Amino acid sequence: MQVSRRVFLRYAAALGGVAALNKSGLMTLKNLSPSEAEAMQTSMGKYEVKYTADAMCPAECGMEMWIKDGKIAKIYGNKAVPMNDGIACAKGASGQQLVYSPYRLKYPMIRVGERGSGKFKRVTWDEAIDHIGKKLADIKKKYGAESAIMDCGDVTDRDHYYRLFFAYGTPNCTEHGSICDTPRRHGPKLMVGGKRWEPDIMRPQLVRQPDGSLKKDYTYKSKLIVYNGWNPFVATRIFYESRGTVGAKVENGCKVVVIDPSYSNTATAADMWLAPRAGTDGDLFGAMLRYILENDNQNDPNKKYINWSFKKYSTGWEDFDAAFKSWWGKKDPINGLSYFSLDWAADRTGLSKKQIEDLAHLFGITKPAALVWGMQSPGHHYNGYCASIIGVALNVITGNFDIPGGVIDTELVKSDKGGSATGKQFKSKKVKRMIDGKEVEGEVEHFHMDLFGSKYPAAWDDAVADYPNAFMEGVDVRYGPFRGYHYPIKAYILRTGNSILTGSAPYKWKDAILAKDASGNYKLELYVFIDSLNLESALYADVILPEASYAERQSLSDIYPSHQVIYNRDAVIKPLHESKKPTEIMNMLARKLHELGDSDIKGSDFWEKYKTEEDFVNEMLAPAPGRVNVGTPLPYPQYPEGYKLIGTPESLEKGEVTVDDRNKVVKGKPVTVEWLRNNHGVAIWPMSWYRYKKHNADEPNKAFPNTSTKLIEFKFDWADGGKRYGGYKSYNEKIEKAGGEVPLGLREIGFSKFPSTFFWFETKWNPYTNPEYKKYAKDYPFQLICGRVHHAMSGTQMIPWLGEIKTEGTWQPMNNEFEAEVPEAMPMGDEPMKAMKMKFKANTYAVGTIWMNTDDAKKAGIKNGDLVVVENPLGKSTKGKVFASGGIRPGIIKIGFATGGRFSEGLGPAYKTKDYTPSHNDLVDPDVLSPIMGFPGYADMIVKVKKV
Amino acid sequence: MCGGASDLRDKWKEMNKEEQTILASKIGDNNMSKKYGFVIDLRKCTGCYGCQSSCKMENKVPMGVNRATVFIKDAGTFPENKRFFLPVLCNHCENPSCIKACPVPGATFKRADGTVLVDHDKCVGCGYCAAACPYGARFMNPATGKADKCTWCVHRLDAGLEEPACVRNCKGSARYFGDLNNPDSSVSRLIAESKDRIKVRKEEFGTKPQAFYIIDNRTKLDVE
Repeated sequence: MQVSRRVFLRYAAALGGVAALNKSGLMTLKNLSPSEAEAMQTSMGKYEVKYTADAMCPAECGMEMWIKDGKIAKIYGNKAVPMNDGIACAKGASGQQLVYSPYRLKYPMIRVGERGSGKFKRVTWDEAIDHIGKKLADIKKKYGAESAIMDCGDVTDRDHYYRLFFAYGTPNCTEHGSICDTPRRHGPKLMVGGKRWEPDIMRPQLVRQPDGSLKKDYTYKSKLIVYNGWNPFVATRIFYESRGTVGAKVENGCKVVVIDPSYSNTATAADMWLAPRAGTDGDLFGAMLRYILENDNQNDPNKKYINWSFKKYSTGWEDFDAAFKSWWGKKDPINGLSYFSLDWAADRTGLSKKQIEDLAHLFGITKPAALVWGMQSPGHHYNGYCASIIGVALNVITGNFDIPGGVIDTELVKSDKGGSATGKQFKSKKVKRMIDGKEVEGEVEHFHMDLFGSKYPAAWDDAVADYPNAFMEGVDVRYGPFRGYHYPIKAYILRTGNSILTGSAPYKWKDAILAKDASGNYKLELYVFIDSLNLESALYADVILPEASYAERQSLSDIYPSHQVIYNRDAVIKPLHESKKPTEIMNMLARKLHELGDSDIKGSDFWEKYKTEEDFVNEMLAPAPGRVNVGTPLPYPQYPEGYKLIGTPESLEKGEVTVDDRNKVVKGKPVTVEWLRNNHGVAIWPMSWYRYKKHNADEPNKAFPNTSTKLIEFKFDWADGGKRYGGYKSYNEKIEKAGGEVPLGLREIGFSKFPSTFFWFETKWNPYTNPEYKKYAKDYPFQLICGRVHHAMSGTQMIPWLGEIKTEGTWQPMNNEFEAEVPEAMPMGDEPMKAMKMKFKANTYAVGTIWMNTDDAKKAGIKNGDLVVVENPLGKSTKGKVFASGGIRPGIIKIGFATGGRFSEGLGPAYKTKDYTPSHNDLVDPDVLSPIMGFPGYADMIVKVKKV
Repeated sequence: MCGGASDLRDKWKEMNKEEQTILASKIGDNNMSKKYGFVIDLRKCTGCYGCQSSCKMENKVPMGVNRATVFIKDAGTFPENKRFFLPVLCNHCENPSCIKACPVPGATFKRADGTVLVDHDKCVGCGYCAAACPYGARFMNPATGKADKCTWCVHRLDAGLEEPACVRNCKGSARYFGDLNNPDSSVSRLIAESKDRIKVRKEEFGTKPQAFYIIDNRTKLDVE
């Protein structure tokens, strides 16, 4: 009889009660010590436990994977990682179905048909690398290395590719962040040098106790969290916000407000759900700020909104305040009302005056509180910068910035990583070009298509949505030493991204990639696609390279905890099929370019230096944690305040350090892969709050935040004592040096330079706030918004277990009957998954749907499940089935981001449903790129809906 | 330990069927003093279906059927609309109607620790138990043809792991599992603290479910 593991376990458990077996000697299994038990639990099935991270999703939670016979058998959260505290969500637990998916890219391919025909031939790695290497060498010779773009779609593991292309000589390397939510991050970047503001609800936190010991603290401090256009329960980028939100509610009586035109899953936890019109986030924030400024009364405990001590730690409030108030005297042309007044905001947002007043009062009076705004609000609107800036101001003046239970700039406090491995140093290499008959010298960096280009010179996160224009017209350098230089874009390397589907409107991307010159050759001479997944963007590529999946390659997670935490994403199994790890792909391409005579690429920088991926990761770890010793309680009271900390938590704790007083650095033993492996995969340094001030005095510490003055800055460009300061300073200097030439983005909104403090302008395609679009309101009565369903993104749509899940109104079991090959769990034997052809009955499998209000649907004669066409004023349309519910504001249509119309067969089941699932991106206006960062106005659109 | 494990396998193989049966009937005896219970804090459920996926991963449950799932209901009109999440699994009832309905003695049984299980070797796949369950917790497994249901991940419990996979991975930390006989266990404490906010599904059937729900005025149990 074959003994299954389960039977065996039952047997083992039964032993304790069977005295007769005592004699057998098997009773030794009883009364195990905890460590023996742990060894037993994992060894019984010959499992090997490995600590890694879940990079199939942007949350990148710490994972514990159980490996059996070289295959992933079990997936749980890693209990040592505070980002997820041992938890794995539906996606995380379903990883086997992605790793063992039959739809993965399996071997290198070279295109044989026209671009987009999907015709490829299988080739060897050598052939593929040879093809790419020769093209890149040729392009560098003919047009200059800057003519290549390396777009790393995914943030994780970008560094290998960046390094290679920086060394090759192009500064044009980018990643997902550029088409994620740049306007959302603008305020934090400008005002504190950070990025993502999140509520202080990551638990546990490692906190220094009065007796000097460190304790894992699970207590919540938050009393109010306001989520504006942010839906952590579904779009789980900051993973701890799921358990943290409900934890703070249940355990600390925290109130939750969700502001979202649609009733998100996060809204189910809300004490107050406000559903404004789309694109009015800044209006609401502006009205809150005005209400707080007008009604603050320091002598009335019920109106003591402002904590004026913020002025000690900031600069420029007077300028900001004056500029903001100057708008109060103006009348808005759309409604004739005074800007930021309650009446004005009520008219524009569609909320009632009372709702806005109540929210402003609640936020002003409740401490600690956190106001956060997400991708789907300021992030995806043309004027999102304004909301983001006001949001920072609201948190700061109410005293909620970086206090326990308040709001944390997670960018400023996360561990540093990357270091010299990223190859940034290659960008300072001197290069020469001929401009107007004169030889000009500059650095590789000065070719950057955005930072020195004619459109968005402050696009510190790159303007990916502008790439189609660059493919067609090339790049005009208008700032910096190469001013006046023009270069074409000739190579596009896309890795783990799907820009053709999601980098603004797909038709614009397709047109640019298919465009030919007069002699019939593609303008874009080389297009390479690198991924584990066979996405739509692969169909248009010249060469496809299969990259090892997230479980097969090693690196570090890109995460946003409330203090320094870093963990190893170990390779837990060997690369499947013919896929290769980024380190190997980088080395192969580098070696090829070197062989082809590229003297910028040296073995000592690549294949001789990084023999294994671990070598690369160790170099990435060298700067960790790289943050200053600040805040209360002081993380390391034994070291000077304000000094930068480097090294393992262990060495810093034990004092195994050198203290460099000149450079203000405390250096312990470097964090290494080996150290991490010996510590459950993770390094955690202590939490502190009030990191902007001295731990023992109410004055700035001059080390935090990361601005030009090390203070919170309410002004963005100013001179003082002969020196110039502020977040926009360097960009305005560029403009001045270029004779005042105004970049395209600023010209669009009538600015001649980057503003010196508070500013305001209207969004696009919004008939309720921008008079220019009022005329469309009658024929296009719906505002179109989008939202992420993280288990319905590209990689996760391939996972059938996630097709059995429904979410909100945009991911519902509304399929027609279809048949598809899917990876299915095997109840018998040790094989985790087997590809099987399965039939899915109608309405059993979740697909992308169009969410609309029940009354709106009724009026249009539309029933749940009806197929409709959604059309915008640009004549573009998409098709899908309607999910009608009361959970969405009338006049709003919502479609999940990239949930439908998936036209690559590599998506598996999603491909089978493409004809009746909607593609939100088809309706995006590709020419609406927000003026400062060149970011697509993904949620700035209006539509009409017709039943098919 | 690896050696010990393979010794055990060998011993098991050497036993005759009767010895094996005796052993199997003693399952849970070492836990005589334990009585397992499950608590779901509905206030913390985020509707993510992590329980369903984790269960599929852990127990290799085929597509189309589930041992653990979530019922979701959208109700009401704007702006008074609501959405309710109800995670469900086998209640491992104290007075299970499924066992009474089973025509094969021992094919479905309750262990001393309260866990209700199916003996796949004995089950004939008649489906009576599934029909008798008021909660729809049982189904016929398309891969085995036998009755199937949540086991509270008994294989994990018996290996000394402290909780079922769905508890281990729950995204909202809404699921708790433990010994109801131990007043200090998380489940006992939650039940004691929550008093009249503790409910079970379909109490009227008298099956005495051992999966308890903490509810408040925003959550609901009757959302099927």
